[in-house]
Amino acid sequence: MTIALHPLRQRSSDRLWLVLGVLVALLIWELLARAFAHTYLIASPVEIARYLWANAGLVARAAGITGLTAAIGFVLGNAVAIALAALAVLVPGLARMISALALVVFCLPLVATGPILRVLWGPGLGPQITLAALAVYFTTFLPLMVGLRAAPPSWFDLVRSYGRGRLTALIEVRAMASLPYLFAGLQIAAPAAILGAMFGEFTGAERGMGVLTLRAMRSLDVAGTWALASTAATISMLAYAGLGRLGQALNTGPPPLILAPLLEGGRRKGWRVLAHPILVVLVLIALWWLSMESAGLSQFFAKRPGDVWAFLITAPEAAAHRATLGSALLETLVLALPGYLLGLALGVGLAMAMVLAPRLARAVMPIAIALRAIPIVITAPLIVIALGRGATGTITIVALMIFFPSLIACYQGLARTPRQVLELFDSYAASPLRRMASAQFPAMLPAFFAAARMAVPAAILAATTAEWLATGRGIGGLMALTASTSGYGMLWSAVVVLAGVAVAGYVGIAQIERAVLRIYGAEQLTR
Amino acid sequence: MPAESPPPIQCRDLSRSFGHGPARVDALEPFNLNFAAGQTTAIVGPSGCGKSTLLRLIAGLDTPSTGSVRIGGETPLQMRQRAALSVAFQDAALLPWRSVRGNIALARKLAHLPPDPGGVDRLIALVGLAGFEERRPADLSGGMRQRAAIARCLATDPRLLLLDEPFGAVDELTRARLNRELPALWQGHGVTTLLVTHSVSEAVLLSDRVIVLSPRPARVVADIAIDLARPRNPGAEADALIAAVTEALAQSAPPRPEPCVSAR
Repeated sequence: MTIALHPLRQRSSDRLWLVLGVLVALLIWELLARAFAHTYLIASPVEIARYLWANAGLVARAAGITGLTAAIGFVLGNAVAIALAALAVLVPGLARMISALALVVFCLPLVATGPILRVLWGPGLGPQITLAALAVYFTTFLPLMVGLRAAPPSWFDLVRSYGRGRLTALIEVRAMASLPYLFAGLQIAAPAAILGAMFGEFTGAERGMGVLTLRAMRSLDVAGTWALASTAATISMLAYAGLGRLGQALNTGPPPLILAPLLEGGRRKGWRVLAHPILVVLVLIALWWLSMESAGLSQFFAKRPGDVWAFLITAPEAAAHRATLGSALLETLVLALPGYLLGLALGVGLAMAMVLAPRLARAVMPIAIALRAIPIVITAPLIVIALGRGATGTITIVALMIFFPSLIACYQGLARTPRQVLELFDSYAASPLRRMASAQFPAMLPAFFAAARMAVPAAILAATTAEWLATGRGIGGLMALTASTSGYGMLWSAVVVLAGVAVAGYVGIAQIERAVLRIYGAEQLTR
Repeated sequence: MPAESPPPIQCRDLSRSFGHGPARVDALEPFNLNFAAGQTTAIVGPSGCGKSTLLRLIAGLDTPSTGSVRIGGETPLQMRQRAALSVAFQDAALLPWRSVRGNIALARKLAHLPPDPGGVDRLIALVGLAGFEERRPADLSGGMRQRAAIARCLATDPRLLLLDEPFGAVDELTRARLNRELPALWQGHGVTTLLVTHSVSEAVLLSDRVIVLSPRPARVVADIAIDLARPRNPGAEADALIAAVTEALAQSAPPRPEPCVSAR
């Protein structure tokens, strides 16, 4: 049974609140900027408008090229996501492998895949489009997998009762039933495509918003950095809102609460627990080797699995390589972990506060949804300007990256508390705090864990982005350095290690989640 | 279309268990039962006794652990593939994005039968949904949805109707009306009908034969012929039969506490 959710339904009074909220935010922004004008940290809305007026043609051309790149990547990435999800449903035996491979590719650090794609593709739009596609496919694939399986069993029995099979079920039942999930995914994918496109532009493109942003940051042009960030953020929010509208116009129903599915399967015992991960690793190595060989790419920059193995394990300097990589990774994780925990804690905390004070929610939720649509590559430079290149800046970037999705997921999770349960508490005149602790918090846990799981790769992305763009430390800094000095052995090794860490974190949270949901969300585990 | 005669059903040594080892639950014990061609047979029994499992096995939606089902000499799969079988599900199973007409027409599409808009409209009128053709299921009451589901069942002109508590989610008044109106729909069609129900009076009023099952694992504890004239109405004769079935049910299910185990 699916639970329809309307916690974010727009009412006219909500729109008023939204407009008021935006106006107040702009005013506070302007005042802050003026108060701190001497620090050269914040550009005021007026300065931004002035910059955009003066550079309208330049920014418009850059926005056009970035928008086009993002759009092509969006279409390609989502087409792959839809094809993969359909294949996983048509051939259930492949579902575990497809999901696992999709997760691993999602966990590849953009910071390193960007430069690698740049040398593989050469100049042009190739890397930007590839990165945009890589950034979107998982955010669509995951909700789509949920949506394709979200229909009640009797609908499939109906199809089978007329002697038809999986393909008919996919066309007649699953495709339509998954539309709201697809659109929820596409909506989140729109800002992600812009993130991917700008990342690609950071790696040595000739034109685009990413190129201008990099230039503005390097010349400490505060007004320019803020103006470009505001423009990119506006494009992201418009794309996000536009897809939301399209979903509504197609009558796909209220946006469902996306609980990313747990890893497929998982009731095996003994050696079989390891069989699947080993198989996934073998398939990955084979795909990696085959793609490099079939494209006939030079071993100098297109490293094969054997090269990375040699670099880290068998080469004479392998121990030194491992030490460099290990200490850089540790430096990153020391900042990523507190940022991760802080972001989650703030998200949960504010979500609970908003449930206890519904007026707060009306003002905050629309802004939170809008801010979630702003990719990290846009906010990171601003935070670095504001908080400096030390630990605080990086931790803040990571926390911010995780805060908004966690806030929205937890708030929607709290709204999932069954009405009858709340009325039971009301019938005993229980205090709001008691209600929160005993009814709403447990009901939120599935959503919380889904957010916590998805936040692991996000935290690593945010930390390495901050290091790469600004601090020059940690594994992000190491990857930036090796990319510029053609140290491809180290770069590929960093990709492998970081993806491994992200996947391990994701799977680790999934294990905790499984244990907790066995008590609090049994219905989540029966899929 | 030449009218094909309704098929008899033979269940031979049919059993179904779920799970393995200590968690194993036997839903059906090896089970032998025949259903006569063209008859309406009601299956009643305590909750969770395996009634729905039996129906799903006959429809071929579930695979038996042992034994086999033959429907007029064919397997359930063969019956389904040539659309000679229709199932009405407990929850109506209407697709929310299709209109009433679209849902009923879907059965012919799924069965690879040519579209028959006139036939669909006649069925809609027959179940009393004229005027609601273009409504979506969300706009209908529970009883209207069940009637749309019954119309969908009939749209392929099946030889075997399997009704799994089709009125379970309907209020008592609507249910009584559906019980009065619907037998006419399928009895005119020359079909074999199996009806799983909780309601003893429904079983007696609708069927030619009532089979009472024991608690899980299901066995037949009573097999009662219902020789009442149609159309049937509640009355002394019916009451006597209802009392007999109720008595058989009570005998079959000695009150004992039992942990809840979900069969599906």
